[in-house]
Amino acid sequence: MNTLRVLIVDDEDDLRETIVKRLNARKIQTEGAASGINALEILKDKDFDVIVLDVKMPGMDGIETLQHIKKLKPEIEVIMLTGHASLEFGLKGMQLGAFDYVMKPAPLNELLDTIGQAYNKKSGLTL
Amino acid sequence: MATILGNLKQLFKELRDRNVADQPGNPSEMSALFRFRYTLFKELLAANSELLSVLSDMDEKLKGETVFGLSYITNQVNKSLRSAFQMVKNLNVMSSGKHRDLYAALEQINDRIKAIIEERKAEHAPRAVMSYEHILLKDADWAGGKNANLGEISNRLHIPVPEGFAITTKGFHDFFEYNDLKEAIIKQKNLLYVNEFDLLNNLSAETLALVRSKPLPPELAEDILAACAGLWGDDQSVLVAMRSSAVGEDGDISYAGQYLTLLGVTRSAICEAYKSIISSLFSARSIAYRSSKGVYDEDLAMAVACLKMVDSRVSGVLYTRHPYDITNEHILINAVWGLGPYAVDGVVTPDAYTVTKDAGLTLQEKIVATKPVQLALHAGGGVGEQPVAEDMQNIPCLNDDQIRLLAGYGAALERHYKCPQDVEWALAPDGQLLILQSRPLKIQNPAHSGLPKAVPLKGYPLIVDNGEIASQGVGTGVAVHVRSMEDLADFPEGGVLIARHSSPEYVMVMRRCSAIVVEAGSVSGHMAALAREFNVPTLICAHLLDRIPPGMEVTVDAYSGRVYAGTVIELLAAVRKEEAHMKGTPVHDQLQRIAKHVTPLNLVNPDAPEFTPLGCATLHDLARYCHEYSYKEMFQISDLASKFHGWSLKLDAALPMDIHLIDLGSGLKESAMTKWHAVKIDEIVSAPFQFLLQGMLSKEVHGLEPRPVNFSGLLSVIREQTLTPGHIGDRFGDRSYAIIADKYLNFSSRVGYHYSVIDAYCGNTISKNYITFTFKGGAADDIRKNRRVRAIARILDQEGFRVGVKGDKVDARLQKYPKSYIESRMDILGRLLIFTRQLDMLMTTEHSVEWVADNFVAGNYKLTAPPAEA
Repeated sequence: MNTLRVLIVDDEDDLRETIVKRLNARKIQTEGAASGINALEILKDKDFDVIVLDVKMPGMDGIETLQHIKKLKPEIEVIMLTGHASLEFGLKGMQLGAFDYVMKPAPLNELLDTIGQAYNKKSGLTL
Repeated sequence: MATILGNLKQLFKELRDRNVADQPGNPSEMSALFRFRYTLFKELLAANSELLSVLSDMDEKLKGETVFGLSYITNQVNKSLRSAFQMVKNLNVMSSGKHRDLYAALEQINDRIKAIIEERKAEHAPRAVMSYEHILLKDADWAGGKNANLGEISNRLHIPVPEGFAITTKGFHDFFEYNDLKEAIIKQKNLLYVNEFDLLNNLSAETLALVRSKPLPPELAEDILAACAGLWGDDQSVLVAMRSSAVGEDGDISYAGQYLTLLGVTRSAICEAYKSIISSLFSARSIAYRSSKGVYDEDLAMAVACLKMVDSRVSGVLYTRHPYDITNEHILINAVWGLGPYAVDGVVTPDAYTVTKDAGLTLQEKIVATKPVQLALHAGGGVGEQPVAEDMQNIPCLNDDQIRLLAGYGAALERHYKCPQDVEWALAPDGQLLILQSRPLKIQNPAHSGLPKAVPLKGYPLIVDNGEIASQGVGTGVAVHVRSMEDLADFPEGGVLIARHSSPEYVMVMRRCSAIVVEAGSVSGHMAALAREFNVPTLICAHLLDRIPPGMEVTVDAYSGRVYAGTVIELLAAVRKEEAHMKGTPVHDQLQRIAKHVTPLNLVNPDAPEFTPLGCATLHDLARYCHEYSYKEMFQISDLASKFHGWSLKLDAALPMDIHLIDLGSGLKESAMTKWHAVKIDEIVSAPFQFLLQGMLSKEVHGLEPRPVNFSGLLSVIREQTLTPGHIGDRFGDRSYAIIADKYLNFSSRVGYHYSVIDAYCGNTISKNYITFTFKGGAADDIRKNRRVRAIARILDQEGFRVGVKGDKVDARLQKYPKSYIESRMDILGRLLIFTRQLDMLMTTEHSVEWVADNFVAGNYKLTAPPAEA
């Protein structure tokens, strides 16, 4: 997974920064974005393999951000992360082509596995 | 887990150093890939169990005997939708989106349910603090079930209850909003597990401290003090009991007793005690419970009951009918001196009074016990044991008038709630009888209540005495053995269905049959849920088929777990039912309408053409579909194994095949992971694999001496095989793979010239356990191949599997059995795998099919000469 690049999009600073730190510690090139708008701006200049996207954010929510990402760079795999109960978001996210929909609090090991599998899928390695 | 992963990493590093990396992918990828799939599968199974438990709870509530409000409905609906989504999503992630139409099906069901919910929403509490005179049953949504019940008893039936008041969910929300707690707590919680060490206890401690450190909103504190003053004036000696009064009670046992109860609280301490009680929502146990059940914290709310503590002279329990002897309708009262716990805990033997339930309330029986001690309230709070004065020890706790007054309360409660009640009562120091609590009396399974069973009814031969109860009730009829789907087609009206396995397919006859008794199944499985939905009395009981021959007239008592020969009139007379009190209420109607989109199961037969995503009309259908296909997805996990075979561990065992292991975590002892060597048998932790190997290694099946006849036969078959490469297809490499976890095994093997795949789960939760087994292919000529397949099918059928044969392929399945049985079947499969290696040579005649199968089942594995054609 040497080339794996991950973007974490979440408005909860503590959570985002912790995940970014832990992934970088595992030699996964990881950046954070505090909002959907912010994420889309970063995406203009940079490429990522996997995006971990919080569902509920102020301003542009996760679903809208996902739509933009899929239009902008459909090859990127997106993992939705949610701390809130909304079946509608889950359904919409999966139907819009999210790779997985993971509930907070998510054990880091499992999140890592999910990121790895999303990356595999993007690289054409079938499940 | 962390150390296992660490060790894995170490192992992989060593592997890499050995420079064997000429395989696709890499070891950590392989490991993650299998683990990922297995995690999805486990989550799917857990969501399935969760959904089924919600379904059975809804069915229970639909009987209309238990109080529930709109928030109960909302909670259960959300829970079931969440579980269904989890299943649909996981199946799709597992299969790279092979079942995407399920999302549309779920969306449609979701829309329908949400539309019904929108019509009526839970009302908000008018006030944060309310005394019981203003609360009725319908206020359960914001006052909680316990408070609403006491209000109902006091205001509608005018039966005395303890003085007190409710702190409603408005109080809870006011407190959280005043201090901006909700978002803060959710944010804190989302950090859980992101750090790798166990933060749960820290998180819980921090949240508890946070909640307790915040002040009550001044208006709330004032309201609470005003309620006390209103009830008790200046009397500061009053002590109160405070406990949570659950909102949206989900009937889940795991919730019971999770929250703090405080006894003997002084008036000045009530506000602090209130915070302690609501903060018990954030105990480590409660957080872990919600997190494991996928319950979100957004809708958390709690109501609290504050009741004046009664320094009871006498207390006890009243049943408005016998709890398990369903022919006994009398009111039963237990009484002890002092406080109630001694009546239920069995510390002293209580007095027992029996009263008829008719208008006369005749005292039928009065058994006075010796009661040497009692539990009493201390003046400063707290309780303790005290001796009973000698002249009081052997006299009845209640006089006849009191007994009859109390029995009258019981009868009124049963009439009002339209179902038998389990009542806690107390005699206050001023001589007033008070009702402390009244809830529906569950007609209990004596096995679970710890009470002695009712004596079997005389005059009827008892066939089964200890069945497990999957759905309560009494049914009588003629026994009909069901062995196949065809048997269901002409199932007679009123028959008692007798079968070896539980199966949701029996739903086809559930409207026609009067009871179901099966040898194996789970009380929390699909069929049990259906039986409860259709109100069919259902028992699970081993070794049944021989005891109940077809055509026998039987009565199934699914209250006591018994089956009698003949028609037991006494039991049938006892079960006529009244309409329960919740029926006809708007809340009940709403649940009924919603349940139509949740509980019915239309997809019963996986081979039917309508078994498709779009054929899913209810959440139960979705669950069934996902459950079925998740097996298939797991089954195919072995396809992946061969892609990665450079990275597996080899098993060191005296077997005629190479077995390669892939551990999903916790399937091997740690010692096996730290050094690079072939894995020893005793390093295997995986339960299903252990037992499979036990069977494979069994001395009996191995035969220490070679059998000349078979050997030459074997050689010729192998020669045939090598001449036709690709004959079996290239689905499998040349090795056997065992993908293992502590409770899981996927074993694929090409032993000699056939392939077989076993997929099994074997843990303590019966409803999750299963084995699927497929056997295919063969190198011998077609007739022999077909005979062998039929022999295997015959063996598996006799060993308790449900078997299907198509061409040269046998599919066998078995599910929802206890761990010990699954283990024994794995052992059998192990024997069978070895046994079948040389089966072809024995398949010389048509007669040999039966001969081979029966010998295997009888344990005779050393067969040398096939029988001559008859």
